[in-house]
Amino acid sequence: MSQPPAQDNDAFIDYGALRALVVDDSPGMRNALRLTLSNFGITKIQMVANAAEAIFQIKNRSYDFILCDFNLGVGRDGQQLLEELRHGNLIALETVFMMVTAESYYEKVVATAELAPDDYMIKPFSAELLCSRLTGILLRKRAFRDVYWHFQAQDLEASITACDALIHNKPKYAVDALRFKGELLVALGRFEEAEALYQQVVSMRAIPWARLGLARALHLQKKNEAAEEELRDVLERAPEMVAAYDLLSDVCLEKKDVAAAQEALEKGVAISAKTVRRQQKLGEVAYGNGDLDTARTAFDNVLEKGRHSIFVTPADFGNLCRVQLEQGDLEAVADTLKKNKSTLQANPEGQLVMAVTQSIAHTRTGNLSEAAKALDVVAGLRADGTRGDAQLMLDLAGACMANGRHEEADAVVAEVARNAHDSEALLAKAKRLYDEAGRTDAGASVLASATGDVRKLNNEGVVLAQRGDYKTAVEKLLTACSEAPYNPRILMNAVWVILKYIDQVGMDETMIETARTQLREAERQAPGHPRLAGLRLQMKDVETRFGIQRKAVR
Amino acid sequence: MKFDGTDFYAALIHELKNNLGVLSMTLERIPLLGEAEHDASVDSARLLCQNVVDRLHQALLIYKAANQPIHPVLDAYSPHDLVQEIAAGAKALAHGRLHVETSIAGDTPILWFFDRDLVEMALLNAIHNALTHARSTIRIEAEMEAGCLALRVRDDSPGYPEHILESVADGRPYAATGTGLGLQFARLIARSHDNRGRLGELRLGNDSGAVFSLLLP
Repeated sequence: MSQPPAQDNDAFIDYGALRALVVDDSPGMRNALRLTLSNFGITKIQMVANAAEAIFQIKNRSYDFILCDFNLGVGRDGQQLLEELRHGNLIALETVFMMVTAESYYEKVVATAELAPDDYMIKPFSAELLCSRLTGILLRKRAFRDVYWHFQAQDLEASITACDALIHNKPKYAVDALRFKGELLVALGRFEEAEALYQQVVSMRAIPWARLGLARALHLQKKNEAAEEELRDVLERAPEMVAAYDLLSDVCLEKKDVAAAQEALEKGVAISAKTVRRQQKLGEVAYGNGDLDTARTAFDNVLEKGRHSIFVTPADFGNLCRVQLEQGDLEAVADTLKKNKSTLQANPEGQLVMAVTQSIAHTRTGNLSEAAKALDVVAGLRADGTRGDAQLMLDLAGACMANGRHEEADAVVAEVARNAHDSEALLAKAKRLYDEAGRTDAGASVLASATGDVRKLNNEGVVLAQRGDYKTAVEKLLTACSEAPYNPRILMNAVWVILKYIDQVGMDETMIETARTQLREAERQAPGHPRLAGLRLQMKDVETRFGIQRKAVR
Repeated sequence: MKFDGTDFYAALIHELKNNLGVLSMTLERIPLLGEAEHDASVDSARLLCQNVVDRLHQALLIYKAANQPIHPVLDAYSPHDLVQEIAAGAKALAHGRLHVETSIAGDTPILWFFDRDLVEMALLNAIHNALTHARSTIRIEAEMEAGCLALRVRDDSPGYPEHILESVADGRPYAATGTGLGLQFARLIARSHDNRGRLGELRLGNDSGAVFSLLLP
């Protein structure tokens, strides 16, 4: 086992060695902040005016301290910058990120969010206050050095052990260590232990993040009644806590109480409309509920508020257009496409959204020759390997059918069905398309053969694996993967079987590399899926036992 | 903890706007003389005035949510760090004119649960009072009292006038002016901290100077 570097216990912080990045759109403020920082000895200061410049600098060299104004004028705001940095792993856990804000309300919105800064400063603030806050965070991060080191080496077990050491030996950081440990336990799928941990914190004091953590741990164990009760009580005491609404909507969705899920998201949006992912979810849930007006407003907001967010994808344009089409508002569709033309043209996925939407709009107005042209564009994009989300692909299938291109439609539906063989909602929507086109029987056979092939390969693989014939099981599941490359469940089964196979016959470099690729793909397609943590752990275990040490990212 | 009384709100706005208007005009009237020491103090006074203006903005944001109760966002913080932080701020504002001391009793816990921003805001009110009235020394203290974390600001001023002690003691809303405003607000912040039904308290007293105590359950 490699060891983290020796601990430096000295409470001295060498500000002269600290590399700082100041992000503020006002030159006067930048200068004032630079003077403030130099007051307590920080001299290596890079100053930038906006998020794009900040990202450029951060990609070029690492910073120990980023001081960022929340309001950056046009373009991304400070929170969007932070989300992009954390999401893209552009800053290490050791880097201090502090947000400067003019309003004390910001804290209420982000305090319990997963993408919170290390701290925030309410303007105006004194150099002394900034210095003492920064010192506090730097010392805390120094105390967490082992925890972070193991975490970044993906050795979550060791990271937990390091948290335990802090809990026992450094009472000042005990609560912070409990918080980090709770997240590790959840990442490892050890929800029961996470529940106990949060319960322990709550019994000290019912602090918001612990109550949310408790509700999440309950939800992940499918104890949704208890989770809902906890969340409703949290919200009664602190109705402005947006993260609780997000979790409540997940709980309600799992309980199939879609109306309550929508209501929770609407309340969250009313408090903080800026979060793109909340708006996306509200749009999806409202669309599923048939509440097109709410869905349209939400999807509109996604594009409006998220103009500079990395979380906006071509699918969001498709979602808005779909609602506008269903409302029969063709003018709005044309407007959406026109306004966002350059964004959509910039990549094949965007072009696909545009062409599919145009094909449907032209079909509606009876302009079949234009519709055919659009569908030809789509066919070209698909031939080059461009794909859209399942909803868009089903829209496409509908347009193909309406234009008599049934073979294309069947191929598209089959692809969707293979990749979503276990999604009732999508399969039902596909079935409806065939019903409406008067091709119910054809649809049944397309769906049966598409899902059947994958299901059969998958089930055979799983049965073989259970019998201990991992070699054949691997073959079956890898075939299933190539049939359904966007089906996270199949991908995860393949990873599981490959790891079992290696367990049985010994290390196989090609196989483990395949498993790594599939696991990464599954993580990309189904982030946060409860099975992922366990698989990651098994992967780690196999790697350790067969002596593969992946280099820690330092 | 519900913030009660639109009258109080109106009085606050009125009072602060008037005072700030007068203050900033007064400051603007002081001419710069091209003499380093004089000009520097004028500058710092203007800066401080700006600081107060901005503080008003903060306060207004909180009062904006006045129809809702104050919801503290609790987390674990170090009372030791808080005392040092407040002291550092007080020293900067005192510009060496007053002596700023700290004292942390041995029984002060390593961590305590409170809303740091709200508590800081309450203590800053006390610091501003002390800066105005203290003769030579301000003292910031932490200790345990009856199961609560007590955060205190002491000074060697003549102490709080009787009517302020009374009004804060019985918590009755009144046409507060000056010092009373900040104290009423500090009381609301204290009482918004609720630990299983036990509410925080603001206690004022005179003990060879004014003693401002925030008790957090």
